[in-house]
Amino acid sequence: MLNYLIRRILWMIPMLIGISLISFLIMHLAPGDITSTEAAFDPKSSEESRQKLRELYHLDKPIIVQYGLWLERIVHLDFGHSFASHQKPVFWAETDKEGNTTPGMIQEALPITLMMNMVGLLLTLTLAVPLGVIAAKKYGRWPDRSITLFNFIGFSIPGFWLSLLLMYWLGVIHPWFPISGLHSLNYAQLDGWQKAYDLLMHLCLPVVIPALTGLAGVTMFVKNGMLDVLSQDFVTTARAKGLSDRAVTYRHALRNALLPLITLVGLSLPGLIGGSVIAETIFAIPGMGKLFYDAVMMRDFPVVMGILTIGSALTLMGNLLADLAYAWADPRLRRGIMPQR
Amino acid sequence: MTNRHLSSLHEICTKRHASTIQRTIIGVLCSGLMACSPESENQRSPALNQVYPAQPGGTMISAMPSDPASMIGMVAGESASLAIGSYLFNSLLKYNQDLDLAGELAESWQVSDNKKTITFKLKPGLQWADGKPLTSADILFTWQLITDEKTHSPYASDYQLVTKAEAPDAHTFIVHYSQPFAPALESWASLQVLPKHKLAGQDVHTTSFAQKPLGSHYYQLKEWRHGEYIKLEKNPKSVLGPAYIDHLIERIIPDPAAQFLELMADNIDSMNLDPITYARIIPSRPTLQAKLNQYKELGNSYTYLGFNLKRKPFDDVRVRKAINYAIDKQEIIDGVYLGLGITIASPYKPGTRWSNPHLTPYPFDPAKARQLLAEAGYTDTNGDGIVERNGKPLSFEMLTNLGNKQREKTAVIIQRRLKEVGIETRIRTLEWASLLTNFIKPSNFDAVVMGWGLGLDPDQYSIWHSSQQGPGQFNFIGYNNPAVDKLLEQGRLEFNPQQRMQIYHDFAKVLYDDSPLVYLSAGYGLTAIHKRVQGIMNPVPPAGVSYDSQKWYMPEPLRRTQIQAE
Repeated sequence: MLNYLIRRILWMIPMLIGISLISFLIMHLAPGDITSTEAAFDPKSSEESRQKLRELYHLDKPIIVQYGLWLERIVHLDFGHSFASHQKPVFWAETDKEGNTTPGMIQEALPITLMMNMVGLLLTLTLAVPLGVIAAKKYGRWPDRSITLFNFIGFSIPGFWLSLLLMYWLGVIHPWFPISGLHSLNYAQLDGWQKAYDLLMHLCLPVVIPALTGLAGVTMFVKNGMLDVLSQDFVTTARAKGLSDRAVTYRHALRNALLPLITLVGLSLPGLIGGSVIAETIFAIPGMGKLFYDAVMMRDFPVVMGILTIGSALTLMGNLLADLAYAWADPRLRRGIMPQR
Repeated sequence: MTNRHLSSLHEICTKRHASTIQRTIIGVLCSGLMACSPESENQRSPALNQVYPAQPGGTMISAMPSDPASMIGMVAGESASLAIGSYLFNSLLKYNQDLDLAGELAESWQVSDNKKTITFKLKPGLQWADGKPLTSADILFTWQLITDEKTHSPYASDYQLVTKAEAPDAHTFIVHYSQPFAPALESWASLQVLPKHKLAGQDVHTTSFAQKPLGSHYYQLKEWRHGEYIKLEKNPKSVLGPAYIDHLIERIIPDPAAQFLELMADNIDSMNLDPITYARIIPSRPTLQAKLNQYKELGNSYTYLGFNLKRKPFDDVRVRKAINYAIDKQEIIDGVYLGLGITIASPYKPGTRWSNPHLTPYPFDPAKARQLLAEAGYTDTNGDGIVERNGKPLSFEMLTNLGNKQREKTAVIIQRRLKEVGIETRIRTLEWASLLTNFIKPSNFDAVVMGWGLGLDPDQYSIWHSSQQGPGQFNFIGYNNPAVDKLLEQGRLEFNPQQRMQIYHDFAKVLYDDSPLVYLSAGYGLTAIHKRVQGIMNPVPPAGVSYDSQKWYMPEPLRRTQIQAE
C-alpha cells in the first residue's frame, strides 16, 4: 500500500508539468494578450506604451521561452504577479519594506469558494443519499415517484433563474436574507458570533441554490446504485440468512452502492476550488470562478496559470484521495486482490 | 467622475448589457409578483418628495460592476480605477458644467505668446489629507512619475511631449513644449496629482500606496474589501471645501440584475440602468417610481458602421453614401435603445462647442441609395435582388464584438435595410481580443459595427490622421484625406477656442461629405438615484448627472439607520 502511495505521488510531478505545458500552450494560442483588452482600446493610449508593457511581461519572447521562465519561477513556488490587477501577487501575500501587506489573489478567493462549495457538497450529499436510498427501496411507489418528479424539476430549472427568483422572493419581498455580497457593510464592527452569523446569512442563498440544483443528479446516482446492488446475489444471500432489512440495506447494500459515489466526489474536488462563474457573478462573491473568468477575459496569464496549476495539483490529490477511500471501502483493493487502478 | 473617465474614448458597454435575459426575467417577476409586494416603502418614508435644506452627514451607497485594479488610475489605465481615483485626487484643471476648462488645483493658467509654454499658478493653502502642503513639487513629481522610463502608463504619450517641466516656487508649475500642442490643456485636466512625500523612491507598480492611497480631494479611502466594497469617507481637509455626504460606499456587484434587486431592496442608492429598465420596468412599478429619480444624459460615445476603405467597393464614396442613405438610424435608436438615443452627424457631442450645428444626419432615403449605387455601376442584372458590378454581387461581412447585444441587434437591422437596396451582408460576432488581434489590427475586415467616444477635447488625430494606420493604431479603417490631415494638424496648434472650433467644424464637414463611416446612434447614459439623495442638478448639465456631486446631500429624516449604512 505504501509503495503504491509513493509511486502515485511521484507520478504527479511529470503529470503536473505536462498539464501546465498544455495549458500554457493552449492559453497562448488564444488571440490577444493583456494589451488587447477592451479598456486598452483607447486612442489616448499609444502603441509604444503597449509594446513596452509586452516587453515588461516577456510577451514578445517565443512561447517556449515564456514557459521556461514560468517553470523556473514555479520551481521556487513563485506564481508571479497579476498583469491586470496592479501586479498583485497571484498566490501568496507579500509584505513590502514598510510592513504593508498586499494579499495574494488566490489566497483571498480560494477560502471563500472552498467554504461555499464544501458546505454545498455536504448539503447535497446529506440530502441525496437518504433520498436516493428511499427512492430505491420504495421503487415505483409514491415516495420514489415524488423524488423522481423533484429530480426532474431540479434537472430542468436553470440555476441562474432560480437564483434570481429566490433573491427576489427572499431578499426583496421578504427581506430575510441578504441579496448579494459576502459581508455586511458593518462587518468590521461586529463581534465574533455576529460575524459568523452575518457570513452564514450571506452564504445561505449562494450555497443552498447550487446545492439544490445539484441534488437531482446525485440522488439519481445513489438511487440507481442502490437498485443495482439490491438486485445482486449477495443481498439475496444476506436476506436469506435472516438479516434484518435495515442491516441488509445500510450495512451491506449501501456501502457497496456508495463506492461509485466516492469516485464522483473525488472528481468533484477540482470543482470545489474552481468555483462557479454564474453563481459568483449573480451573488457578487469574489471567488475563484469569477477570478478565473476575469483573468481569461483579460488574458492575465499569471493568474490563469496559477489557478490551473493549483487546480491540477488538487485534482490529482483528489483522485488519490478517492482511490484511498476506495481502498478503505473495498477491502479487496486494500489486500491487493483486485488489480490496482 | 474625472474628465479622463468622461472622455474615455472607447465605449465600454459589453458587460453592462450582458444579461438582458436576466433583466427581462426580473421584469416578468416584478409584474407577476407585484400583487404580493408590500407597499411599506411608501409608508415608511412618506416625505421622499419633500425638499429639505442641505445638511452634512449620511452615507450614500452605489454599485459598480468591477473592482478597480489599483487606486493609481494613470498607471492601472482602466475606468474603475480612474473613477474611484477621481474622488481621491485632484487635477490642475477640470471641466465645468458646460464642459469648458476651469481651474481645480490651478487658480489660473497662461499660455505663452509662442504657445509653447503653459504656466499654472496654484491656489493658496492646498494640502493633502494628512495635513502636509500640496505644492507644485507634487505636480512635477507626478509628471515625472508618469513619463518615467520605468513606469508603464498607457496614457504617458501626451505628457511625453513636454520637453521641460519646472516648479520654480511652491505655487508655480511651468511646462514647455517643442511645438504648440492644444490638447495639452485637456491632458492637465486628466492627470490625477499624487503626493510626492508618500510615493518618492517607490516602485509605482508594486507600491502599497495603490491599495492605501492618500489624496487631496473630497473623499479619502477608509476601507477596501477587494471584490466586495470600497468605503470612502469625507476629507475634512479637502482643498475645494467639504462635501456634504459623510461616507460614499461603492459595492462591487457584477451582475446588473443583482444590482437592480439591491436597488429595489433599498440596499443601494444609485445604479446605471439599461434602456429596458429605464423605459419599461421602473415606470411600470409605482413603488419604484415613488422612491427613485431617473436621469437621462447624452452619453459620451457613439456607435458606427465603419468601412475598410482600402477594400473595394468602399473606396468608392458613392457606395459609402448609398449605404448611409439606406440605413434608418431612427429605427435603430427606437428598436435597440427604446428611443433613448439620438442621431449624430459628427464625432462630437451635440450641443457642445465642437459639434458643427450645420450638419444634419444623412436621412433614410432608399431611393437615393439605389440611385447612388446605380451611379457607381451597381445594378441587379440577374434579378436575384442583389446588385452587381461586372458580374460581381455587392456583398460584404460586418464584424462586431461578442456579448454586446446592442451592437448585434444594430447589425441585424442594418442587414435587413441593406438587403432592401440590393446589398448582401453577413454578420459575424467575435470575442473582443480575437476581433482586435486577428481582424482590426491587421485591417482584415470589410466593415465593423463598433463604438468611439465623443471626446471632450476635439483632437481626434489618432483616429483620423493618415499617419495613424499602422498595426495597433486607431485609424484602422484606413482613412486618408490630405484635407483632414491638415485640419487635424492645425487643430493641435490652435489654442484659441473660437478658431479651434472653426477648424473642427470644417473637419466634421469633410468627414460628413466623405462618409468614411456611418454614424448610427449616440445612446443616453441612464441613471437611477434614490430620492433620499437630494441636491442633484436638474436638468442634468452637459457635464453629466454626477457633476458637482459633492453638493449632493442626504436629509436626516431620509437616511438609513447608522448600523445599516455603516
